[in-house]
Amino acid sequence: MAEEEDIFDPMLKKKKKKKKTTFDIDAALADGKNDLLFLKNVTPVLLVLIFKLKSDIGNDNPEGTTNGGEEIEAQGAMGDDVDENLDLKILRKKKKKKPFSTDDLDAALNEVKDDIGGDAPNQDDEIIDDDFDLDFNKLKKKKKSKKQNLDEIIAEVDDKADDKENVDDNTISWVGSDRDYTYEELLNRAFEIMRDKNPDMAAGKKQKFVMRPPQVVKIGAKKTSFANFTEICKMLHRQPKHLLDFLLAELGTSGSVDGNSQLIIKGRFQQKQIENVLRRYIKEYVTCHTCRSPDTILQKDTRLFFLQCETCGSRCSVASIKSGFQAVTSKRAAIRAKTA
Amino acid sequence: MSIQNLNTFDPFADASKGADDDVQDGLVHIRIQQRNGRKTLTTVQGLSSEYDLKKIVRACKKEFACNGTVIEHPEYGEVLQLQGDQRENICQWLTKAGLAKPDQLKVHGF
Repeated sequence: MAEEEDIFDPMLKKKKKKKKTTFDIDAALADGKNDLLFLKNVTPVLLVLIFKLKSDIGNDNPEGTTNGGEEIEAQGAMGDDVDENLDLKILRKKKKKKPFSTDDLDAALNEVKDDIGGDAPNQDDEIIDDDFDLDFNKLKKKKKSKKQNLDEIIAEVDDKADDKENVDDNTISWVGSDRDYTYEELLNRAFEIMRDKNPDMAAGKKQKFVMRPPQVVKIGAKKTSFANFTEICKMLHRQPKHLLDFLLAELGTSGSVDGNSQLIIKGRFQQKQIENVLRRYIKEYVTCHTCRSPDTILQKDTRLFFLQCETCGSRCSVASIKSGFQAVTSKRAAIRAKTA
Repeated sequence: MSIQNLNTFDPFADASKGADDDVQDGLVHIRIQQRNGRKTLTTVQGLSSEYDLKKIVRACKKEFACNGTVIEHPEYGEVLQLQGDQRENICQWLTKAGLAKPDQLKVHGF
């Protein structure tokens, strides 16, 4: 296929150039920003002219006429979505042959492949806007040779079968076909109904936990101030010491609460980063692990912290705060001087 | 609640599980520490002692194009140290190499 593309590319370009010289409209078509209505008006004229052009080209190089099928495929690859193009081709071809009806299409499909269901007509609705260069080729070709068309249809139907599988994944409706529904589909259906019936639940959490963002200000080059630290502690109903321990352990630094009840952290941190850590703290130590309600009490019981939920009454232990391994980041000489 | 005394103990459970999986037990803590300026340091603590940490660090250094070392700590065992913020990298690498499962990795820091 790729090789054929290479072979046929120059020819294609030539064709396009010819078209462009004759029509400005065609340039617009090639761009793909085509208006359907507009196209309908123009197509008959275009078709005739292009047909003429093509026949001229065909006379020039007979390869083009004999390998017409490949040529079409090569052009199909130029389109954005090959599968869709193929579908379009089939449908268009059929339309030309005889007045298009879904029954005819189904019959034709069944001849080739038995297990193709009835949503083929749906697909042709979806693929209205497409690369219209293709259409012209195909129509022209149909007039020329019908034998090749049959072969192509067979090949394309195979592609279409693949395409159909994808479609099945996307659509939840198995109503039209007589196939069995899968577990996932039913599950999705149940959840969708649930969401429709009670939109409160759609958010997942009944009440959103609203937090004031931490005010983080830089102090000089090496320190960061967390200005509303105690305020946030009060909002969370947690001991400042506990949150302080957690913050410092997570950030891997040292710090302290100063006189104006703000937290001074060593190191440079942005508000976003502090927010991230706070979010983790809330998830682990504030919201109930069972019902996710923030209405909880943290108790210390024989060295372990327990989270008691006021809403659902559950009680579970939470991980202890450990700073873990701390690498040496300051000057070793300074440490040695301190200890010695 | 079943009665634990009556449970049968399979002495070959470990052997049948296979040698390569589930060597890692417990969390792997991946932390980041700020150094001077924009520089950072990533530490990986809690990798199973069955693994050859030296080999791991060698592979990581090559993969992430950073320097690294293995530090012996009396409490935490062998700890991997990598230069720079390698949290994302090390998480991906550990799962890809099959050394630890994603739920065993715990990323700390901002």
